[in-house]
Amino acid sequence: MIDAQKTIVVTGIGVASPYGAGLSRLRAGLLAGECRLAPAADLYPGFQGMVARVSDLPPVGEGPRYSRSYSRTDRLAMAASRDAVTEFSIPSSLLRPSGIVMASTVAGLTEIDPGIAQGPAAWYRDGGLARAATYPVSRVAASVGEHLGVNGPACAVSVACASGAMAIALGANLLLDGAAPMILAGGSDALCPFTLSGFNSLQALDPELCRPFDQERKGLNLGEGAAVLVLETLAHANERGARVLAVLRGWAMTNDASHPTAPQKDGLGLAYCIGRAMEMAECGVDEIGYVNAHGTGTPLNDIAETHAYERAFEGRRRPIPVSSTKSYFGHCLGAAGALEAAITIVAIEAGALFPTLRLTTPIESERLELLHGPVRHEELPVAMSVSAGFGGSNAALVFGRLQR
Amino acid sequence: MMSLPMISGIGSVTPYGPLAGLLSGDALQPNAITAWETSAPRRAFVVEPFRAASIVPGVKTRRLDRLSAWALVASSLALKDASIDLTQVDRSRVAVFFATGLGCVELTEAFYRSASANGWAGTDPITFPETLTNSPASHVALFHDLRGPNLTISSKCFAAESALLQAASLLRHGQAELAIVLAGDTLTRAVYEWYETAGLLSSACFSDDSSLEGFVPSEGMVAMVLEPAGRQAARAYAALGAGRWASGGDARSCAEGLLGETRPDFIFCAGNGAPCDSAPELCLAHSLGGDAATVYPAQPVAAGMGDAGGLLHLLLALSKRPGAGEALLLGTSAHCGYASLRLEIF
Repeated sequence: MIDAQKTIVVTGIGVASPYGAGLSRLRAGLLAGECRLAPAADLYPGFQGMVARVSDLPPVGEGPRYSRSYSRTDRLAMAASRDAVTEFSIPSSLLRPSGIVMASTVAGLTEIDPGIAQGPAAWYRDGGLARAATYPVSRVAASVGEHLGVNGPACAVSVACASGAMAIALGANLLLDGAAPMILAGGSDALCPFTLSGFNSLQALDPELCRPFDQERKGLNLGEGAAVLVLETLAHANERGARVLAVLRGWAMTNDASHPTAPQKDGLGLAYCIGRAMEMAECGVDEIGYVNAHGTGTPLNDIAETHAYERAFEGRRRPIPVSSTKSYFGHCLGAAGALEAAITIVAIEAGALFPTLRLTTPIESERLELLHGPVRHEELPVAMSVSAGFGGSNAALVFGRLQR
Repeated sequence: MMSLPMISGIGSVTPYGPLAGLLSGDALQPNAITAWETSAPRRAFVVEPFRAASIVPGVKTRRLDRLSAWALVASSLALKDASIDLTQVDRSRVAVFFATGLGCVELTEAFYRSASANGWAGTDPITFPETLTNSPASHVALFHDLRGPNLTISSKCFAAESALLQAASLLRHGQAELAIVLAGDTLTRAVYEWYETAGLLSSACFSDDSSLEGFVPSEGMVAMVLEPAGRQAARAYAALGAGRWASGGDARSCAEGLLGETRPDFIFCAGNGAPCDSAPELCLAHSLGGDAATVYPAQPVAAGMGDAGGLLHLLLALSKRPGAGEALLLGTSAHCGYASLRLEIF
């Protein structure tokens, strides 16, 4: 028997992805197997590798105030949240008391350049003052609130590449606490030289198109985007007659406590996280029909993640289908977990298991079915989205169809 | 219904120095900035340099920024203050919840300096991961081997209050059995000059002005151990009751809703920026408390820490040793909304 007060459901999804604005464009791009990655040097001369950019970011306001007051990360977040409330007809009266949990790692770094290092005061006087005001990560959540007139609890989450999934988990907790009738939870991050340079310095970037879970993988490609999920309790959704897109059946967060940047080789912390999420979702290892993996394409991540799935899904009757949709438009950092949660819900809704692109020689594992080739269509009642990040953080979200 | 979670340990690295438990409570004066070259004397509430390993044996902080180093020291002091032996605890059930306004801004500036000197192709690979906002919380997990939820959040004006409430939520929902809540920020040249160029600083930052009117930037880190009431804690400073924070709306009706029929014995003001007699949280506190409640105004050293100052406000109020009773931690701002938390002081 479902407790509608304690069941968290998704009733809207807004997206700003390299496919363009809107969930329908994300869905179409994935189903078509369209890769949006392009040479980084086209956008950032001097940088190597591949990136995916949101090329037609819709305007969120007119005039210089918008370009000065909001970073590109803010504007991606505002576009995705506007898309969610418009496409899913969320009334403004309901938005006002709602809450916001937005993830970001980059935030306003997009607006700051190395000139600040030579003399901060001069840089501020030369027009940097307003740009620097977009630096705090809390600004991303505040921007969404200002844009939509949301007055409830607002916070930003910054836990490296697990941020987006954790924002959704914290949003769900806030609903269980009765902190707001509805929570807009998601993540946003924009491309910028700071992160490109940082990952380049770590030699984590693949100079070519990334190949997650392939034995020949060399590293990741960066992308940008934002996704926002409208979360509420099932009781609240029923009361207002909202269509339920998915149930957030379980969520969990753990830390490897193993290394500042590298994942735990045996995947122990991530496996524990997946197990906790399945426990909360009250589903066994055979019920999960698909895992949208973190799958960055770095040599260390993908093998550790493989070990985590082998451990977490031990005893399963058939191999667990796993793919990385970062092969379509790169790693969107703080937005990745939210975008991949949206993709997992699309997979359930469309009954579509998205393959990893360019996966020709998968990592060998008897317990994993690393999806490649064409999109596989099958009934998918329950699926999982998994995220991990620098600092050893892990997050797992279990989504399912609403069973009446 | 779970009993209220308790604050059972406190550690801090603040302008008062690195300390376990309560502070002396004496009002501080800002000190001269020496960490970077200033064109004329400039003052702020700064943490004097200290050797972390002399406080926490074995801790290595050479490659960390001060925020991460302070997080390690403050969390260690808080665990010690709570008499928690981590070997007796299931560390996969211990959460770390870190609140910050600006994050690891020291090494972010260092990264920009390396980009400025060497170009984007010549940046430092060791610095980059340490620029991530969650680095301090990750180092706390790594140092203490804490494998539960590890979160870093920020919330305009009320990041610390939000972290305290959300950490309590993790305990309430069985997602952790113990939580270390941290809140802090560092002052750097770029941050200070931003405040100065924006015209936000108090005259006390430029001269020996003891009035402390206006905004005097501050830095530091406070850690609090939060645990369910069931454990036989060595000490409990306070039990954390219901709370709310919001980015807008009516602070009064929220506080009244939280209090119900009861009236607090104490109201701890948690303003941020520039505490003064007309600060909105102070006016609201006097109005809510009437003659019955003792109102503790916001202290400049905590207000100067901005978004992450809430735990220092609470620590300073507890350090006044108000006695047992019901308390309300109250922050409100015309621009940021409000935060209200009920506490039972022991």
